[in-house]
Formats: sequence, C-alpha cells, structure tokens
Amino acid sequence: MTVAPPLANPLRAGPRLARTPQPCALVIFGATGDLAARKIVPALYNLALQRLLPAAFAVVGAARADLTSEHFRESLHADLVKFSRTKPINEDVWRSFAESVHYVSTRDGEGYETLRHTLADLDVRAGTNGNRLFYFATPPSAYGPITDLIKQHRLTENVNARVVVEKPFGHDLESATELSEKLQGVFTEDEIFRIDHYLGKETVQNILVLRFANGIFEPIWNRQYVDHVQITVAESLGIEERGAYYEQAGALRDILQNHLLQLVALVGMEPPVSFDAKSVRDEKLKVLRAIRPITMEQTDTNVVRGQYGPGFIEGAPVPGYCDEDDVADDSMTETFLAIRTFIDNWRWEGTPFYLRTGKRLPKRTTEIAIQFRAAPHAVFSQEAAEGMEPNALVLRIQPDEGISLKFGAKVPVQGIRIRSVNMDFVYGASFMVDAPDAYETLIIDALRGDATLFTRQDEVEQQWRFVDPIAQAWAKGRGPVPVYPAGTWGPAEADLLIAEDGRTWRKP
Amino acid sequence: MNVMTTIDESVWGARTDGVSALERELARLRRSSGAHAKEQGVPVARASVLNLVVFATREIHARRAAETVNELATRHPSRAIVIVADREPGGRAELEMHCQLSHPDGAQQVTYEQILIRARGAADRRLVSAVIPLLLPDLPVFLWWTETPPLDLPYFDDLVWLADRLIVDSGDFARPDHTLPRLHAVARSGANRYGVTDFNWTRITPWRELVTQFFDVPAWRPFLDTITGIRVGFAVDADGREIHPSQALLFIGWLASRLGWSAVESLAPSEAGGLLFAMRRPDGQDIPVRVRPRFIPSLDEGDLSGLRIQSEVGGRHAEFVVKRSETATHATALVTVGGRGMSERIVPLGRPGVSELLGEELTIARSDSIYEDALAVLVALTTG
Repeated sequence: MTVAPPLANPLRAGPRLARTPQPCALVIFGATGDLAARKIVPALYNLALQRLLPAAFAVVGAARADLTSEHFRESLHADLVKFSRTKPINEDVWRSFAESVHYVSTRDGEGYETLRHTLADLDVRAGTNGNRLFYFATPPSAYGPITDLIKQHRLTENVNARVVVEKPFGHDLESATELSEKLQGVFTEDEIFRIDHYLGKETVQNILVLRFANGIFEPIWNRQYVDHVQITVAESLGIEERGAYYEQAGALRDILQNHLLQLVALVGMEPPVSFDAKSVRDEKLKVLRAIRPITMEQTDTNVVRGQYGPGFIEGAPVPGYCDEDDVADDSMTETFLAIRTFIDNWRWEGTPFYLRTGKRLPKRTTEIAIQFRAAPHAVFSQEAAEGMEPNALVLRIQPDEGISLKFGAKVPVQGIRIRSVNMDFVYGASFMVDAPDAYETLIIDALRGDATLFTRQDEVEQQWRFVDPIAQAWAKGRGPVPVYPAGTWGPAEADLLIAEDGRTWRKP
Repeated sequence: MNVMTTIDESVWGARTDGVSALERELARLRRSSGAHAKEQGVPVARASVLNLVVFATREIHARRAAETVNELATRHPSRAIVIVADREPGGRAELEMHCQLSHPDGAQQVTYEQILIRARGAADRRLVSAVIPLLLPDLPVFLWWTETPPLDLPYFDDLVWLADRLIVDSGDFARPDHTLPRLHAVARSGANRYGVTDFNWTRITPWRELVTQFFDVPAWRPFLDTITGIRVGFAVDADGREIHPSQALLFIGWLASRLGWSAVESLAPSEAGGLLFAMRRPDGQDIPVRVRPRFIPSLDEGDLSGLRIQSEVGGRHAEFVVKRSETATHATALVTVGGRGMSERIVPLGRPGVSELLGEELTIARSDSIYEDALAVLVALTTG
C-alpha cells in the first residue's frame, strides 16, 4: 500500500475547481444488484454529466452472473433510463462513460484472478495508477467471503485501496465487530467507508453548518434553553419488496440503529475542532457514548413498538404488514418505534430526546425539532397569551428542506394579543432540483478519500451497543405488538409515552 | 433613438413617488400577497440573501436582466434594483421609481422584490443617493453592469463603492482591448473592498476544469511543466468582423499565471487572421501560442471552440485536446502520448445562458484571485 504521492497540480486552485477526485478504478461487487442499478450507476452517470469524474477513471462491475462487458453496459443503460434523476439520458455522454465500464464474473477464484489482471491493466492503460475503490453493494452475507477473496487474490497489494460498505453493518454488536475485524484483515480503518446515506443529504450536512457556522445558536443549544428534542423519520411507504430483509431488521435495525442515532449525534455533539473526518467523528462518538443506555428491563417504559395494520395512504387502501409478501402471518416485527432517551453529559443532562420512526405513517417527512423552554415569567395576561407556544427551531430534512423558527408576535389589533408565527427559510424549488443526490456526494467523497460523512467502527459499535438490549427485550417479550392503522401516527402507546412527561408529539 | 418615454407598468409595476412611497408600496404588496397566501394555506417568506443592483442604459437590456434575476429568485432570493439610465434628452434631470413583487415560477413561498430606477436627463450623479436607502441592510451587494462599464466616470465609482462584487461581461464590451486593462486596474485598486468578475471568465470554467483533470492523472502530470505549444480556437461571425478573443486570452492568462509563464512580446496578428505570440516558461523555454478564429454558427462570438496543448518529456510527445462539438452541446477531451491515443471522453459542454452565468457568480461572495491573476497576464500581453 505504498504509492508515491502524486505531484501537486498547480492548475487546481481557486474557488471554482475543487471537487474532482484523483484517478481511480471503482470496483462494484454486486454489480447486477438493485443498489447498483438504482443508486450507484445513476450517481456515476450524473457525476459524469457534471464533469466531476476524473480524466482517468474506470468502473469494473463484479458479480456472479456470466456476462460480457457489452451485456453489462446494456443492462446498466436500461436501469439508467429508469432511475436517473436527470432525464432524458444524454446518449453521447453515456456512451463515452460506458467505454470505461467493464465486467468481470467473480463466480469463483479464477474470476478474482481475472479481476486482478483487469485492474492492473487499467492502472496502466486507463491511468488509474493503483487507486482502487471497492464498493460492496451485495447482500451483507457476502461481505465476509468477498473480503477473503480480495485478500487471497492480493487485490490490495501495492496499491491505494479503499472500501465502501453499505448498511446494514452487522445485525448486532458482535456481528458488526466481527465484520470490522474481517475488513481490517485487508484494509486499515481509514480505508473503510461505511455508508449511512443520510449523512450524504444536503440538509443533514446543513445541521453542522447551522450549528457551527453561526454564533447565535450554540449559546442556547443546551439544557438551559432547550426543553426537549423531537426527531421524526416518517415514511408513508410500506416495506415494498423488501419483506424478507425487513422481517429480520425491523424499524430498530433499519432506521434507529443508523439514521436516527446519527441525527441525534449531529444535533447533540460538541463543536468539532475542524470539519475533517477525525474531528467530526470523534465528537459524534463522544455524544453517542453519552446516550443513556436503555436496559432490557427499562425497554417497556421507554420504548414503544408498533406494527401497521390495514388502512389508507393518500386515499388508497393498503394492506397490513402481516399481509405483505415474505412476511409471516404472525410476525412480531416492529414497523414503528418511539423512544425516550437522554444524553448524560454536561450540555444535555435531563433534556429528553424523543425519537420516532415508522412505515405507513401519514406522510413522508424527516424533521428535527428543538423545542425551547417557555418564557420564564408570564408578563402578558393569560388571555393575551392564549395563542402562545414555546419557541421551536425545526430543521426539515425532507421533503421541503428548510429551517423554521416559531416565535410569538403581536396580532395587529388594539391591545395585546399574541400568536405564534413561523419564520421559514425554504431552500426553494430550484435549489432542491440542484441539490446533489446523497449517493453522488458520498461516492465523490469516497473517491477523494474524505471519510467525514461516513461512520467509523467505534460509532457503529456504540450504536449497536445502544440497540442490542432493546432488540433482546423484544425478542424475549411475548407481545402482542400494538397495531396502528396505516396512515396514522403510530399506536396510542406512543402518545402515552410522551404524555407521561406532559408533552405531545408534533404533527410534522 | 428617442422613442421610449413611458415605462411599461405591467412589467415594472406602479410608479411611486420617492423612496419612502416605494417602501410603503412594497409593504402593501407584501401584505396582499400574504393575505392571498394565507387563504391558500402557504406561508410567505421574504427570504433575501443578497441585493442585486443592475445597471443598463437601455430598457430592453434592463428587461432582459430582470427576467434573468427572476429566474434565479428561488435560488438567490434577492431584492433587485434595476437602474435604467437612458438619459432621454430634452427632459429635466429626475429619477423615476417603480416597484413590484413577484413569485418566481412554482415557488409560492418566495417573493422577489424588483425596483426600477429610471434616470432621465443628466441624473447620473443622483443615482447612488436613491440606491443606498433601497438596499436591504446587512446583505451583500452585487453590482451587475450590462454593456461597457464607464470605469473612469464618477457615477461608476459612486455605485461600485456600494458593491461587494462587480459583475461584467467583457463579451458585451464595445472595446475590450481598452476596457480590460482598466478593469484590471479597478480590480486591483478595489481588492480590499470588492471583487470583480467577468462572465467570460465564468464561461471558461468547464474548459479549465477539463484541462485541470488531464493533469490530475499522475502519468500525465509531468507534461504540465514542459508545455511546448498551445493553440486555442474561438468563434467568429460569418462576416469575419474582428472581435477580441477575451475568453481565449483569459484561458491562456490562467495557464500562464498558474504555471509561472511570462509574456515576452505583445500580441501580433498572425497570417491566418488570428494571433501568434510567444510566452516564456520558468525554465526559459519559449512557447508559441496561437489563437485562431473559427466560423462556427452554433457558437456565440468569442466562445472557445477548442484547444490543444502540446508537450514533450524525455523525447515523448503528448497532446491534450478539448474539442467542442459542432452542435455546441458536448466536448471531446483527448489525450495522446507518443502518438498513441490514451483517453477519449465525451462530456457535456453547452452554452450557458446568462441566468446560469449569473447564478454561478452569485454563489461566490468575494474576489477570485485566480481570475485577477489571469487578467493580469492578459493585460500584460495586450499592453506590451
């Protein structure tokens, strides 16, 4: 893993030329799968459209199927027509990009030898020069065997290699640690890029910008001013065709373990020294470690689970979870969860974080609401202040990305009457169109070797450490899992959970 | 010439009598827009991230500029103050103001405020006094000067003094060879107060990106230090009217300033109607530079049509070529080393419209020293 650092390029200076990565070969394992078709290849093509791919670049698809490069390109083109965020497809650009796309069947060891020769050949012929990014887009069960084969066939010898691993990263602490150890037999931790695609979203990155590029929010971002925090990740979709996966995962592993806890970390973390991989992830880890664990015994009092029954979404009837394909008729898998947790540190002591996520909720929305304490003393008469609510700062992640601040204002009549108004910052219609897709951002970062927006081993493990006891409590517990009709905000138990503390869920 | 006497109020809104009347009118418009939105259940935000002052001497230019700003309003919500100084003779000197509020397409939640200031007669020096009270406080001011900026006149100084950024388009200059050196002086003297940029610089960003990408490749990087020749083509009209190749010269200026080349002679016309001159590498080697006009109907005058960089390392000859397609939608980027094709890529390279150019410039809040360095070389070449 020693290649002389390239000579600096004096042309790459100034504010306009900053983002193109160094020459690289991208190897996609699971190249014929769903993720490659829906996300990775469309992202690469759109990067090519923006002229963001390096001049020396190659994609090598690897999978079990016996395909020629020609057939592989054809099938990618068909996928692209379906899934590209920009349409129609620019055929000239596609053809030129497709020339850098190759396919190797990795059904057996011989396939890996072919892969090694192909990569060595590209290093010289295409100029990728020993820079390789392996992308594991396979089912998680294949991560281990592929890693072994990479090692066995010396694909990382004497080159700069990195690996991108998709979620789920393990299914509990033990399996996640095992997987990390397995990968570390071939790659150093700095070379392992664990994807949590939420971190690639513009507005998620904007949490850090809002907090740390502004001086006015940080002083009130603590227990003295914040009453509580609510984070909602709501989907109106059901499980689609992912029944088999979802039965194993549930909302706990699918959303809480990664996306929700990452959002908690970004909202709760201390200011990093700088916006680089180590500083940001060190701070995230600190706050993840400060999240108060919920033991198996405490699960019932702090966590509510639910499963959607039949109901209506956007006016159309939808089946209940147990009636979905590949789902057991008596499945106990949760499609909803609500949780009350605390961060035990100087900044957040005693401030509850309420998190909830679910499928088949009334709308698709992700938001973080910082609810501030009410004004300390009632200056105005109760009658005047009737419409008053405490201040709230809401970060909307999707859709309608933006930030709004709720505050009380005087209604323009004689005398005092107060009403809450929202000051809204909307990213705006055309901004949303322009915002890069999360996968584009993350692929560029991985090619550039910037791990800031990827999760580190210790973060992932800490997240499992939090989730495991809850999973165990549920596995032991008998049920029943409360059922909520599709198209509602979860079971009544969730409302009780927050009502115990004298608070209510927002209607996002 | 003297045809425009009244302002089209359907475009520019109602006439108001002075700054405070104008602010009152805007407040009234905001209220009625707010009431309308409330009925529909959409909140209206008056998001503003910048002030944009546009200067034009003809209403038609002002109108086009206003359309451009409107297109950008969702991305760069702003207050736009459009000045039309048509200086209609005969009348007395006075400023006429109009204002209106609009919702850019499809974005109910964003409003965009547009103010027109029309200067009649000899009212140039009064302009700044009307602009200052109309600027939204505490937000950056972008001054977009259409056509040739009168860099030596006091009212230009008045207005640029307000600005954080001056945006011009040397493609619209009447005499770029005269104005660019002055622009460079202005950029230099204003360096601490405002940044200067040129749409012709924005137009060559993709070309710079493509050339930069060539030399990110370690195997090709050594060729960057030993360039032996450059050719740049630019588009001209069918009638062969002489135009100033500012984009081409800015591109060469950029390469030269990044690589430490110096001008050894000022520009001399070559036989083919272009320019041929030499520049000197830091190691003393001279590099012939050729700038050639091409007739390409799909391009605007002055747009780059292609470029070729030649180099040699240890007897191995290399060529780096970017060639624009006839349709002006794509470019092909080619690398040849030792006579062997190493890489050929097709990438999109269209002709950005003014709103794309302006949108790009509005994202950059301060001066761009890379541009100023490139401009300095251009000036050194053209003034000898």
